[in-house]
Amino acid sequence: MASTTFRVFRFQPDSGDLESYHQDFSLDHEEKTTVLDALLRIQNEQDGTLAVRYSCRSAICGSCACKVNGKTVLACMTQVEEAKAESGSSTLQVDPIGNFAPIKDLVVDMTSFWEKFKAVKPYLIPDGPAPQKERLVPKAAMEKVAKESACILCAACYSECNSLAADPEFVGPAAFAWGYRFAADERDAQRKNRAKLYSGQHGIWDCTRCMFCNERCPKGVDPRDAIEKLGAIAFQEKVTKDKGARHAKAFLISMRTGGKLNEQLVGGLTDPVGGAFNAPLALRMLQKGKLPASPLTHRVKNRDQVTKLIKNVKETI
Amino acid sequence: MREHDVVVVGAGLAGMRAAIAAHEAGVDVALVTKLHPVRSHSGAAQGGINAALGNETEDNTDNHTFDTVKGADYIGDQDAIEILCERAPLEVYQLEHWGAVFSRQEDSGKIAQRPFGGAGFPRTCYAADLTGLVILHTLYTVVVKYNIPTYEEWFVTDLVTDDDGNAVGVVAYDMIHGKIETIGAKAVVMATGGAGRVYRPSTNAHASTGDAMSLALRKGVPLKDMEFMQFHPTTLAANGVLVTEGARGEGGYLLNKDGERFMSEYAPNKLELASRDVVSRAEATEIQEGRGIDGCVLLDLRHLGRDRIMERLPQIRELAIAFAGTDPIEEPIPIRPGAHYHMGGVHVDNWGAAPHMPGLFAAGECSCVSVHGANRLGGNSLLEAVVFGARAGEASAAYAQEAPTPHVPGNAADETQARIEELLLRENGPRQGEIRDELAAVMQEKVGVFREDATLREAKAKVDELKARFQGVTVDDKGKTFNTDLIHTIETGYLLDLADCMVTGAIARHESRGAHSRTDFPDRDDENWMMHTLAYLDDGEIRLDYSPVTMTKYEPQVRSY
Repeated sequence: MASTTFRVFRFQPDSGDLESYHQDFSLDHEEKTTVLDALLRIQNEQDGTLAVRYSCRSAICGSCACKVNGKTVLACMTQVEEAKAESGSSTLQVDPIGNFAPIKDLVVDMTSFWEKFKAVKPYLIPDGPAPQKERLVPKAAMEKVAKESACILCAACYSECNSLAADPEFVGPAAFAWGYRFAADERDAQRKNRAKLYSGQHGIWDCTRCMFCNERCPKGVDPRDAIEKLGAIAFQEKVTKDKGARHAKAFLISMRTGGKLNEQLVGGLTDPVGGAFNAPLALRMLQKGKLPASPLTHRVKNRDQVTKLIKNVKETI
Repeated sequence: MREHDVVVVGAGLAGMRAAIAAHEAGVDVALVTKLHPVRSHSGAAQGGINAALGNETEDNTDNHTFDTVKGADYIGDQDAIEILCERAPLEVYQLEHWGAVFSRQEDSGKIAQRPFGGAGFPRTCYAADLTGLVILHTLYTVVVKYNIPTYEEWFVTDLVTDDDGNAVGVVAYDMIHGKIETIGAKAVVMATGGAGRVYRPSTNAHASTGDAMSLALRKGVPLKDMEFMQFHPTTLAANGVLVTEGARGEGGYLLNKDGERFMSEYAPNKLELASRDVVSRAEATEIQEGRGIDGCVLLDLRHLGRDRIMERLPQIRELAIAFAGTDPIEEPIPIRPGAHYHMGGVHVDNWGAAPHMPGLFAAGECSCVSVHGANRLGGNSLLEAVVFGARAGEASAAYAQEAPTPHVPGNAADETQARIEELLLRENGPRQGEIRDELAAVMQEKVGVFREDATLREAKAKVDELKARFQGVTVDDKGKTFNTDLIHTIETGYLLDLADCMVTGAIARHESRGAHSRTDFPDRDDENWMMHTLAYLDDGEIRLDYSPVTMTKYEPQVRSY
């Protein structure tokens, strides 16, 4: 037997108290117990008012995502003793997922998440009538979207997303993983339109590449990789008018020509009009030594290797 | 009051397929679900969906029909099974056209098919070991595309009938806003899934509490073949999490503590790919006779190799590591039989219509058409959900187009509200958790893989006692917002009704057939028991009646694998 203190986030709007707080529950349990099983025992044996979303308890329905000691996990597949060992404490703090408003205790309002999911047009839009039997799709082509098809919409990625914390309108990693799942499906006929839809305001180029979504996804979907692959699709489909796309393109040109990042070139290519008027920023950069006096700087010695790398990456995508 | 032409309760495979079919038929249809559609338990189905596509070897609908009739131990209705198998390829193609990411053959690009238990051919279409999830998501994407109104996290507390006994809507509790409302409809389709939570361990989600069955039963609709609960041969020892039959389909072995492949003793021809009742009994026998390890036997996948496991069974590996601390690439997985699928359910015809209540339809695991008879073959449940979901959607839409404007009793929600308030006010009584735990334990122990008269009667006495105690049940949470304590209490009442039907039916059926295996009546008795059980609820007591089995061209044979 083991013993654990669970410091659980509480928010009980029906009580009239609109302040949240943490409450400690002590539980004696078997060595092998999951966080979800522990929460359900607390609910059943100690406090029936504790609200938690859950259903399958086998890591597939996606409802029990929560934060354990600050990290978003599925409660059903997190072993209590392992989480304790990782944190080096006999107390586990359990909080609702981030970037959502609480409804009650660990239950949050996921309306925005579902709306954004719907906004990426998450359904197949093929051209022409369907054949009599199945469409023939090479095994490799179908496997290309297998990873993203395993997304269970648990919102662990959304919970950890730094771009969302800065811009609540950002569409978010899960919806973009689904966007890629359809954009890359060779049965879908909307590749270019999808590239446009996902590139606009609050779109793929607003991702800050912090990689937390990849790190915390419990199913190995790697949403950040999907966003990156959507970026590549946007280039292939020549959907590059977006400022983010121009920025990426400017990086590429800078690397290809000089073998290094030329801020002057990148700034000018990203935003030729606005950039010209951004003198204060240019001055500050000059002061820090980040801006050369002339845009025609020398090339790095190993430019060949950089070009090779770029070629490699392009071929892989 | 809210109103729609058709209201579908439950948004798993059967519910969403029904709603899509009704929408395509041109009626105003809404979904009501106590979860969000993508949280439905259909998503946990792993192995696949059967259809005689003939992509791997020659196959045809007749083979599929025969295998299903035999697997059902001859009390499946053969006309319904013919419909199931004939429509199977169409539904699989339809799912593909909607975008389902099925695994493909290497060269042809056709949908790949794997062998499954009780089937004579590799007939099971799959998406790695995430088939249920992929199909559930595919259907949800169509619901999104069609913009079908969906009441998410609305828990149905009552089926509403008019003065003539027609189904005219439901009463539901909006869990987030804490309101109770009536949703009127010309037709109601019930598709709330199974009742595996009557048992422990169970592969089922916590949410699988058989709601629709109990709602219908309480309104006088009989439930059919409730004694037939399927035990899945491979569930993880720790908590009953499912390990797909696809693992055996891909070549996994079962071993006892002496390292013997014991299935050669029980099913010399089909071995691990005999039907589920046969494999579950073999495992239970090995364990009972002392050849198990800590109440388990072993599922060995190591010889498949890392690549095949990673390609075909990635989720199984993940779950075995998370819940059993075992990496199947390195060592065998301890498994045992666990409650999995309920062959019984709301008594309906081949269109999913309840003959005892006009306007009521049911589809999927909560219904009993009956295509699975006494034992369901792996890969046939997802199929049943989409085929009979579609048919119930079509039939309910046709019914709604003809039906007059329903007279929905204006006070339906008030009665529910009063009942719930009374429950919330009650003090000093047992809590739902303890009743539910005791119920699951007694069902597991006494109404399990093997059954006999004495222990079944002990189980019945316990169920009666729990039903009596439940009358005084109390709820901790007195609030309105997301009151899971209240929801679970109402669900526990449903589970008690259903357990009563299961035990009462099992005591009466003096034979062994499919999943119902009586040690005191070890043989199948076609002369006396070739019939369906119908369970009614009369004044709180279960009353049994029987109805004939439909046969077309398959005479009962001795069932061997």
